[in-house]
Amino acid sequence: MVELIINGKEILAKPGQTIMEAALANNIDIPRLCFHPELMVSGGCRLCIVDVQGRPNPTPSCGLACENGMVIETHNSKLFDLRRDILDLFISDHPLNCVTCEKSGACQLQKYAYEHDIHKTSYEFKISKPIYQDDNPFFIRDHQYCILCGRCVRVCDEIVGASAIDFARRGFESYIATPFDDAMVDSTCVFCGNCIQVCPTAALMPVSRKGKGREWELDRVKTICGYCGVGCQIEYAIRNGNIIYAQSSPDAPVNGEFLCTKGRFGWDFSTSPDRLTTPLVRRDLAFELGLTSEAWQLPLDSPLAIRNPKVEESFIPVDWETAFEVVSEKLASTVKLYGPDSVMGLASARCTNEDNYLFQKFMRVGIGTNNIDHCARL
Amino acid sequence: MNSQNLEEIGKKENNRQKQYKRRIFCCTSTACLSAGAGQTFSTVNQSVSACKCAENEAEVVQTGCMGLCSRGPMVRVDYRDGESTLYGNVSPEIAQLIIAHHLPIEGKDSEIERSSGDVASPHDMLHFRASLREARGKKGLEKYIIPTDLPFYSKQVKVVLNEIGQINPNKIEDYLAHGGYKALTYVLENLTPEEICDEILHSGLRGRGGAGYPTGQKWHFVRQEDSRPKFVIVNGDEGDPGAYMDRTVMEDNPHRVLEGMIICAYAVGATNGYLYIRGEYPIAIDRVKNAILAARRHRILGNSVLGTDFSFNAEVRIGAGAFVCGEETALINSVEGKRGMPRIRPPYPSKSGLWKAPTVINNVETMANIPSIINRGASWFASIGTEKSKGTKVFALAGQLRNTGLIEVPIGITLRDIVFEIGGGIPGDRDFKAAQTGGPSGGCIPSEFLDSPVDYESLTRLGSIMGSGGLVIIDDSTGMPGFARFFMDFCMDESCGKCVPCRIGTVQIRSLLDKIISGKGVAEDLVKLENLCKLVKNTSLCGLGQSAPNPVLSTLRYFNHEYQAIVQPSLPVSSGND
Repeated sequence: MVELIINGKEILAKPGQTIMEAALANNIDIPRLCFHPELMVSGGCRLCIVDVQGRPNPTPSCGLACENGMVIETHNSKLFDLRRDILDLFISDHPLNCVTCEKSGACQLQKYAYEHDIHKTSYEFKISKPIYQDDNPFFIRDHQYCILCGRCVRVCDEIVGASAIDFARRGFESYIATPFDDAMVDSTCVFCGNCIQVCPTAALMPVSRKGKGREWELDRVKTICGYCGVGCQIEYAIRNGNIIYAQSSPDAPVNGEFLCTKGRFGWDFSTSPDRLTTPLVRRDLAFELGLTSEAWQLPLDSPLAIRNPKVEESFIPVDWETAFEVVSEKLASTVKLYGPDSVMGLASARCTNEDNYLFQKFMRVGIGTNNIDHCARL
Repeated sequence: MNSQNLEEIGKKENNRQKQYKRRIFCCTSTACLSAGAGQTFSTVNQSVSACKCAENEAEVVQTGCMGLCSRGPMVRVDYRDGESTLYGNVSPEIAQLIIAHHLPIEGKDSEIERSSGDVASPHDMLHFRASLREARGKKGLEKYIIPTDLPFYSKQVKVVLNEIGQINPNKIEDYLAHGGYKALTYVLENLTPEEICDEILHSGLRGRGGAGYPTGQKWHFVRQEDSRPKFVIVNGDEGDPGAYMDRTVMEDNPHRVLEGMIICAYAVGATNGYLYIRGEYPIAIDRVKNAILAARRHRILGNSVLGTDFSFNAEVRIGAGAFVCGEETALINSVEGKRGMPRIRPPYPSKSGLWKAPTVINNVETMANIPSIINRGASWFASIGTEKSKGTKVFALAGQLRNTGLIEVPIGITLRDIVFEIGGGIPGDRDFKAAQTGGPSGGCIPSEFLDSPVDYESLTRLGSIMGSGGLVIIDDSTGMPGFARFFMDFCMDESCGKCVPCRIGTVQIRSLLDKIISGKGVAEDLVKLENLCKLVKNTSLCGLGQSAPNPVLSTLRYFNHEYQAIVQPSLPVSSGND
């Protein structure tokens, strides 16, 4: 372990840990914009500068490895002034439209500007890149809010592996672009939206979020993604019972902050009228079992009537208990009548390993057959 | 191929050269080429062949920079007995005068009519002979002769530029004849890697790219790293406006750079190296590539260098035109094929550089010093220069001076010597105003410091930097705020955009300067300007940003009155709400 002192407090850091990481682990909040714990260090925002005893100039804490005996100060009036001046420069190239901005309340630039008492820039206000791009159905790129922290570029390269975007041009004119500035759909972008997740400002915004509510008007619901067996945690932002957008939180045990395109954008089924919300039992069977008094005959031309537009006429909704009863009764009678090998089990790759394990166990032990397979065997 | 073979090749070439009664050297460096040296060279070539004198009468040699670039194209005629005449401003017409003056015209015109010339057609040859005969009687050649006892030459000490102007950069034999690759064979046979690093450390050589880090120390760090592979990079991305030291060394003596590089690779245990040359230097790229091929042919590069166990390969990487790629970590990114943006340091390249491997990265001039240090010893090198800055430094002397060009001076020489002795003073009846060292990253030094020595520490103390060797002299007709704005423009355009102080700060400095220069500035703007410059200097990520405000800060420091003169007095403090 490495011993050092941060803000007068003795701290034990792991070898190789940076000052920033050690500080975060000890609940010392160093201002930062380009730093992200899951991404490689950039060092571009210059906000995380700290005073290191023995060094003439403040040093960024995100790239500085802890060394034995270091004495660090993360907050003092000199650093405050430097940070304020740097934020002042940020603000000179970032419209303060916080009143109408969706990100207001969750914007990190806003947070630090507030903390450093900045109301407006003291420099000449100049927007370097007044570009607005909504060339895809998933997210909007509003470059005037972009502070070029490069988190989106790094997440796309390091985590997703798509490398769909990078810096274009240079200096004040640089902006984030696809190769040759083609439309996003023509790039290698997989629309996972992890760039939106890591964007500290409103430069990247889900289309679904535009005009649908402010940070503090949204409720948060955590759930597990149902698309596959990985079991990523998703946090939905909800307003009036409608999902506004999906994100993940750093403490999600499986996926951390990252999601795939289905998890992040594939949630509109939840309010679709076509969505099944209760178990259904076929009407003829239901009559047979005494669940309904209304006799009904399956139409001959379409035994299961799946394509029948009046599908609801062929089924009646039941509660889960009834559904289980029906299934277990029919299974038991089939096995009794035709033997266990007359039954086959088909599991889903979207279920968890544990569920699939239980299912094959049920088929082999409960039913007594090895007829078990899953949908991913294609 | 081993060291003895190399020596034999050198000797053979030496003997070959000695058989010529006179050798005519034509500069074909970029500076002279842009003054028309291409045509001069071909005129000299054709005229000499038109003379039809005996084979051993004269050899025309394409060579490198002879220093006084303001007088280009330059031609020098060396006689075997030691007599030598240097000519400047040699247009094709003057070239004919020179040839007519130095060479007899032999043979008969009638023979030429029947011959099939390889350099020129018989018709051209006859034409040349006619012009040469005509030129013979003419006078006026004297004013093109440059006396070599000028202070411009006598005050210089040539180490890096030693063979430049003497050898043909495209001939490895010529370099060998001048003692080339002797240092390499010596270290391969006699020194351990550790001893080489020690030797370089003791010589006191410091990085010539500008920062002045002790080279031997850097090599030791990389040598001590256990991880493999290791790399050597030569930084030839010289971007300062007006600076062309590295270009000249690469163009005119590429083998010296290669030799230094191979010695470095052997000393640190590197197996591969890259010469990163900016794309704007096509001739340098060509000649370095040629040199690499020649070195491979002679087994100086490749597997088992000169028959030893040591293997080393070098390749050229071409820069795409970004100033910031001269910054070592941005250059490494660029070699890796990434966008040329600096990386945060630490880790330093000596620990984690190219593809995260330990990497030595040295400037062209630094590498070119290595062979001389090995050949002549660390103590010889340390005897030149000042206590903390050893050796010589090449400067590209430019601006409002009588003599401009490429000079090599011992570190510690005074600015006055450079400006008034070597540079010949300010033309016209103007006065010296300031010297800008270190290009856009440096500062302006006013006349009261003319007697201070030019070394790393003194220049830093004066608010400038040694830099890579750009040296622009300005006279009193130049306004300093505008001069500072010129360099600020450059830095603003060349900022990569990664860190905020440099990306936005340079733009804001520039617009404050605009406001001040246009006469709309108030006294508060000067305070704001200075504070912003300090912010950019103290918080930028890389050397480019950290030094970008230097021209503004140094002019604010030494020429404050010029700023004060154009700003309006402070606004009265408003009492109401603003």
